[in-house]
Amino acid sequence: MNNTFNINRFGLLLKRQWLDFGKIYLVSLLVIMGIIIGFYAWNAPSPLRFNNYDNDGNLDMRFRYGLFLMLGFLFISIVASSYFASLGQKARAILELMNPASSFEKFLAGVFYTAIFSLATYLILFYLVDLSFVKYINSNLSEFKFDEARISAVKPAESIAAQLFDDAHYRTYLLYFISVPFLVTSVFLLGSIYFNRFHYIKTAISVMLFIGAASYIIYKSASFFTRNMVNVNHNVSEHKEDLAFLLIFLITTALTLIFWAIAYIRLKEKEV
Amino acid sequence: MIKIDNLNFGYSKHKLLFKNMSMQLSNGHIYGLLGKNGAGKSTLLKNLAGLVYAQSGTLDVMGFNPAKRQPQLLEQICFIPEELYLPSVKIDAYLKANAPFYKNFNHEYFDSLIKEFDIPAGNKLINMSYGQKKKFIIAFGLATEAKLIIMDEPTNGLDIPSKAQFRKIMASALTEDKCIIISTHQVRDLDNLIDTVIMLDDNDVALKASVQEITEKLTFKKIKEVDESIIYAEPSLSGFNAVMPNYHNEESRLDMELLFNAILAEKTKFKPLFN
Repeated sequence: MNNTFNINRFGLLLKRQWLDFGKIYLVSLLVIMGIIIGFYAWNAPSPLRFNNYDNDGNLDMRFRYGLFLMLGFLFISIVASSYFASLGQKARAILELMNPASSFEKFLAGVFYTAIFSLATYLILFYLVDLSFVKYINSNLSEFKFDEARISAVKPAESIAAQLFDDAHYRTYLLYFISVPFLVTSVFLLGSIYFNRFHYIKTAISVMLFIGAASYIIYKSASFFTRNMVNVNHNVSEHKEDLAFLLIFLITTALTLIFWAIAYIRLKEKEV
Repeated sequence: MIKIDNLNFGYSKHKLLFKNMSMQLSNGHIYGLLGKNGAGKSTLLKNLAGLVYAQSGTLDVMGFNPAKRQPQLLEQICFIPEELYLPSVKIDAYLKANAPFYKNFNHEYFDSLIKEFDIPAGNKLINMSYGQKKKFIIAFGLATEAKLIIMDEPTNGLDIPSKAQFRKIMASALTEDKCIIISTHQVRDLDNLIDTVIMLDDNDVALKASVQEITEKLTFKKIKEVDESIIYAEPSLSGFNAVMPNYHNEESRLDMELLFNAILAEKTKFKPLFN
């Protein structure tokens, strides 16, 4: 018997975890769907409303970008923060730790549910609600009033996914940020093992303190090293922006892997 | 089955709960683990199950280091904790999700235990009383056919008929390849069940002896007056309950509560008898 990883045992573990985690997860998905629908119903363009257009004369759907990011952050971070929260309670922790699966399998199940499953379900849910509203708006396009002096005709609305994937420019830059949601889930997953109570708040405060301290140190050290200096490199590279994006990708990916590694070690060393 | 060698453990580095503890436990026995509050009964059980890590020393459970929490060992350990948590599901769903992890899980035995303990099958586990939860988890644990059964205060919360059922079930659960360790405060609940007594005191094992060895070396009697031959005596309604060396090979019934108090009060007098 392989004591580190066995695919059958891992499958059993995913099934077992769903028993405890699934119901709460499905309820929270319903809540998220309600919030998205509520925001769309309140903010989406409507023939009954004035000011339906943005500055370029398109139907104004700009509210959805902020909603997608904020709600997405909250959803995946809360799911990750609650995954190992049971280990903070003695009775539940004993049940979890004594379950005959390896620590690695338990950790992988955590990564699957918090990073892959939660992110995928959120993206699908948001996409479906967005698409439904876009279809509905487009089917009633003729009823929208518009100022003929500014706009010649009402352009159909585009779904958020179509906007991102149809544009090569967006597509390229999206890839650089692909690790950001995984970084968020890895930090909160670690917090759920590290802290015994108030996982979410304690993790959020720790992240804020860490970012504050890191920013201060970077700013101060950069100021110190560049004091009384001028830039003598006149041949400015054309790809500086791309380098910055590449660094964002590399750093977020590296931090994600580091936080997952720490989470695995904490899980292995967890005592009750 | 279990070898503990020079185990040092403490929840803080400066205050050790176990100092150089060594002991061996073998299969085919039901061990009763006794000790005062805070003596480390639950902690010793957790060390055996790999739920806490020793500072030094070695622990060998069926050839594994429990601290590694390897599935092969975990499926051979049935750990019944004092504090229980069960999810909000019915028995069937719990079985479906958890039983497949134990390749020797005996469904028929589980059903017979559930029937014997009179646990309502249709109820959600979370809505059961503490006693029912405890009986359910004992039934599940025994049905895993694990070789090492560790029970921390298993009779807490059980009503009087359930305690009798528990004793009967545990006695029948013992086979040659199994080792059962039961920690309890309620020593009378273990009467006639355990065959070996382990008593913890002062960071170490104060006594580890089989019931037969104890009754061969000691005799438990009701006496009118205390004399020099008595190792320990407690006043009772009709005189004293006393423990004394069994010089004349008398047969007596082990009074576990009396033995427990005697060991705590007169440890030095017992040591030469059991070393």
